Amino acid sequence: MNNAAHTLIIDTPPDTLDSVHELLRIIWEKSPDVSAEDQIRFETALIELASNIFRHADDGGGISCLLSVEISADKIEANLRDTGQPGDIQLTGVEMPDAYSESGRGIALINALVDEFIYAREGEQNVWRILRKRTQ
Amino acid sequence: MEITKRVTADGVAVLLPVGKLNMVHAHRLREVVDSVLADGQNRIVVDLSSVDFLDSSGLGALIGCLKAARQANGDLRIAAATEQVKLVLQLTNLDRVLTPYASAESAYVIE
Repeated sequence: MNNAAHTLIIDTPPDTLDSVHELLRIIWEKSPDVSAEDQIRFETALIELASNIFRHADDGGGISCLLSVEISADKIEANLRDTGQPGDIQLTGVEMPDAYSESGRGIALINALVDEFIYAREGEQNVWRILRKRTQ
Repeated sequence: MEITKRVTADGVAVLLPVGKLNMVHAHRLREVVDSVLADGQNRIVVDLSSVDFLDSSGLGALIGCLKAARQANGDLRIAAATEQVKLVLQLTNLDRVLTPYASAESAYVIE
């Protein structure tokens, strides 16, 4: 198949996670060969990452985020670029918290769902990438 | 998020949230569970058959609700989880504290 790329500009508020779900709904419709398992795992990771950006990076003035999702024969990849505060989070070696903890699972969950999870600060922007190798 | 409530003949409160249990809507579940507990019903089932997406915020809300129910000498159980919900429970190792029952009716059957 040819590579398919989709982009979305999210301004939050007023945009919400629903806009990310809606983009993915359109993408899955156009890429019916992506397995249900890959769809579920990638969508869960991307929504988790977007929630994290919306929740932690907003200093009160709102955030603008450019999301690009690309599907190729062997992988699904999302790149996000946001204008929020610098991310102060550890991405690797994060373990699931105690079973009765009410928070702190997002990063560990993303790591369990994708093959690559990268963060960098570039100028005034946060740059994130998640990549899942497709199941064949 | 719309959450409907019914009470079974055995006095179990069955909550049916509809939609996505995520960062935006998680607090709503907690509000409804708190009000059910305040009404004196401490055996609760959250029927997840109409929740098509759960994230870690929704999961955190379920754990908070479970703790609140146990504090009230009751319990909170989940039923009819979709594939995505089961995956999130399994990857976070929470399927042991929030074991998905097949249906709301079976969640409190054998005590």
